[in-house]
Amino acid sequence: MSQQTTPAPAAQAAPTEASRLAGILTWVSQNGIFVFTAVLILFALLFVDGFGSLFNITDVFHRAAPIGIVAVGMTFVVISGNYLDLSVVAQVATAGVILIAVSNSHGLFLAIIAALAAALLFALVNGTAVGIFKANAVIVTLSTTFIGLGLLRFFSGGSIFFGPPDGPIRAFGLGKIGPVPYSALVLVAMTIILGLLLNRTNFGFLVRSFGVNESATRLGGTNTALVIIGAFLVTAIAAMIAGFVLAAFSNTAVSNDGVGYEFRALAAIIVGGTSVFGGRGSVYRTFLGVIFVSVLTNILVLSGISFGYQQVALGVLIVLAVSLDALARKVAKR
Amino acid sequence: MGQTGNTEVAIEASHIVKTFGGAIAVDDVSLRIAPGEIHSIVGENGAGKSTLMRVMAGIIEADSGSVSVYGEPVGSGTKAAIDAGIALVHQELSLVPEMTVAENILLGAFPTTFGFTKYEELKEIASAALAEIGVSVDLDERVSRLSVALRQFVEIARAVARQPRVLILDEPTATLTPAETDYLLRMLQRLAEGGMAIAYISHRIPEVFEISSNVTILRDGKQVLSSPIVDLTPQEVIDSMVGRELKQDLESHRVANPGEVVLSARDITAPRVNNVSLDVRAGEIVGLGGLVGAGRSELVRAIIGADTRTSGRVTLTRNGETVTLSSYTSAVRNGVGYVPEERRTDGLALIMSVSDNIRLPNRQQLSRFGFKASRMITEFAQALADKVGLRPPEIQREAGQYSGGNQQKIVVAKWLGRKPDFMVLDEPTRGVDVGAKTEIHRLVKEMADNGTAVLVVSSDLPELLELSDVIHVMRDGRITGTLTRDEASEQSVMSLAAGEAEVVA
Repeated sequence: MSQQTTPAPAAQAAPTEASRLAGILTWVSQNGIFVFTAVLILFALLFVDGFGSLFNITDVFHRAAPIGIVAVGMTFVVISGNYLDLSVVAQVATAGVILIAVSNSHGLFLAIIAALAAALLFALVNGTAVGIFKANAVIVTLSTTFIGLGLLRFFSGGSIFFGPPDGPIRAFGLGKIGPVPYSALVLVAMTIILGLLLNRTNFGFLVRSFGVNESATRLGGTNTALVIIGAFLVTAIAAMIAGFVLAAFSNTAVSNDGVGYEFRALAAIIVGGTSVFGGRGSVYRTFLGVIFVSVLTNILVLSGISFGYQQVALGVLIVLAVSLDALARKVAKR
Repeated sequence: MGQTGNTEVAIEASHIVKTFGGAIAVDDVSLRIAPGEIHSIVGENGAGKSTLMRVMAGIIEADSGSVSVYGEPVGSGTKAAIDAGIALVHQELSLVPEMTVAENILLGAFPTTFGFTKYEELKEIASAALAEIGVSVDLDERVSRLSVALRQFVEIARAVARQPRVLILDEPTATLTPAETDYLLRMLQRLAEGGMAIAYISHRIPEVFEISSNVTILRDGKQVLSSPIVDLTPQEVIDSMVGRELKQDLESHRVANPGEVVLSARDITAPRVNNVSLDVRAGEIVGLGGLVGAGRSELVRAIIGADTRTSGRVTLTRNGETVTLSSYTSAVRNGVGYVPEERRTDGLALIMSVSDNIRLPNRQQLSRFGFKASRMITEFAQALADKVGLRPPEIQREAGQYSGGNQQKIVVAKWLGRKPDFMVLDEPTRGVDVGAKTEIHRLVKEMADNGTAVLVVSSDLPELLELSDVIHVMRDGRITGTLTRDEASEQSVMSLAAGEAEVVA
């Protein structure tokens, strides 16, 4: 009896029109990024003047690094099924201001400690509201963005902080190996470390499992609040490092440094093929998504297209990517 | 009553085929129902009855085949089906609990002027629909405050309010008491006499013989036969459903040899649970019987901490050591296993592999310093998949690709790996085929034989009687009686479960 109800391979029906379509859509929304990135880079090398120059490549890396570091961290929140962490806007700015201001007055070591403490605070507030009280992550993190930026403006008086003309921060900010700046190496290191964290540890497994089925994860004997706080903590620490990288590069920091990071990071994550429905996705895909978004932006800049149109392009890209993700899911369900 | 050979056909489904991810759910089924005919569709769980009905109601699209109503082909989608006069009463209730009875009856079809709801007219139509099925209930009452039976009737009123030409009911009596069932059957007969064509899904054979003129039997998605009911005997129907002659005597009872009390729950109070105490001993299977809504699932969830309890104390004793269970995570850590009632929403991560699902509760022993030990996981999961008889035993497949019975085996496997001291199973074989059911029963008995204290909630009376060494019967959140194996019978459990007085509507 039981053998008959099992979908044994031999008994499988021929794939139907719908299931074939679902397969194609799922493949494109999850793996399309590999093809798209390759094609885009090839296109840029062949047809865009100045793309292949050393100066330009370094510039792309410099711009990609802080966004990418935020994005690989935020991938954890997205995979946990909690959409995104908008408060990275405040976190990036807070880290930058702390790095410059505190190291000016108290030294680099205390600046790092203070930034970590701030990251922990953001993660605890976001994680507690979302993980324990089950509040909506978008609204919670929109609010903590306000709280964070408000406090930052209050303490910083809204002023711009300048670092000393030389010293370790400056050296790091400007250092590079060939055309590759240190910041890009930090992005690569973060991608590898967070990739291992997501794929190889029990914590990473639980983040993904929570994103797939919260109830089953809880009933599997999991303290789900800790998992969510953890996902926000990974994001916050990544945002702090991104803030450091950004401030070290410009050697300045101001409270609106992080504006736009939430959206660019989300663009990289979604274009990379991580599903906003939770459960599916990876840090490595996000890395590719960062490359794609950065190269695309660079092409637009080099082609002399104005900032306004760049924003439009990025917005359209996200709408297309999330719609494809949702469509693939809808077709697969039928 | 419709006669076979009647030339007029109210609804005709021809050569319907539907697959889900490679598994065939409905395999070339054709069906025609005349006006005024009650046509029963029977089959075991998973035979494809609900899928067929959902195709006919336009909720899911068939891979091939067509549906027509009074000769007119029905387009795709729910709206086309509704426009053609097809109404479906779902197996799972689809009412909005926070809306009133009247609003629910006309949900999606509110009468309006310039976008504003005409409440007077809404109530009139709702009240007419209730009158048509002969049920009286306050139109302004919120559905969340109604009994399960009344909700079922509101659901039917909702279908009837659209004045359908074809009414499809998917196991409407599953949660009803015998008296309520009787009432519902009379109602359907009246509707059929008015010329409605009715498709009636059930696996309760006596009901089928009581009201239908024709019957279609499905097995594994295939149409075994369609025939006037007068040409069949109940035994023939059952044999066709199962595909072999069902042995009447059940599998032999195991000889229970209960040891010390492992789980002790005292004065448990929680929503829908009223001051219940119970003990489960090592090697003992305790059954919890009662009607749906009696508070059984709520009780077990309160005991293990899956839901918070208002008051009460739960202790777990093993190897002479007693711990108080305060939270669900502490319960799991201390040797509690839980197979929840809803395997698809609570039991499994459907888009994750079998291996990952088994890894979830066993992750600590399958890792070193928080990093997963891949080889250990594979071996561990494979051994469990083999032990529970997963077919095919491919642990890298997504859990959602398996049939209901195999999915349930995965849920059991998750917990078997922990060798729990106390195991709770809530409706362990609901929606599971006969083969898987036998296998799950074997596993549960084996677990008890190995010394696990087992608590089983089941609405399936033969299952409850077969597994349990002792049965507590619940009604309205309390244990109304306890039956030993010798005292327990379907009748004794039901009379405790239903209570003495039953009033319908």
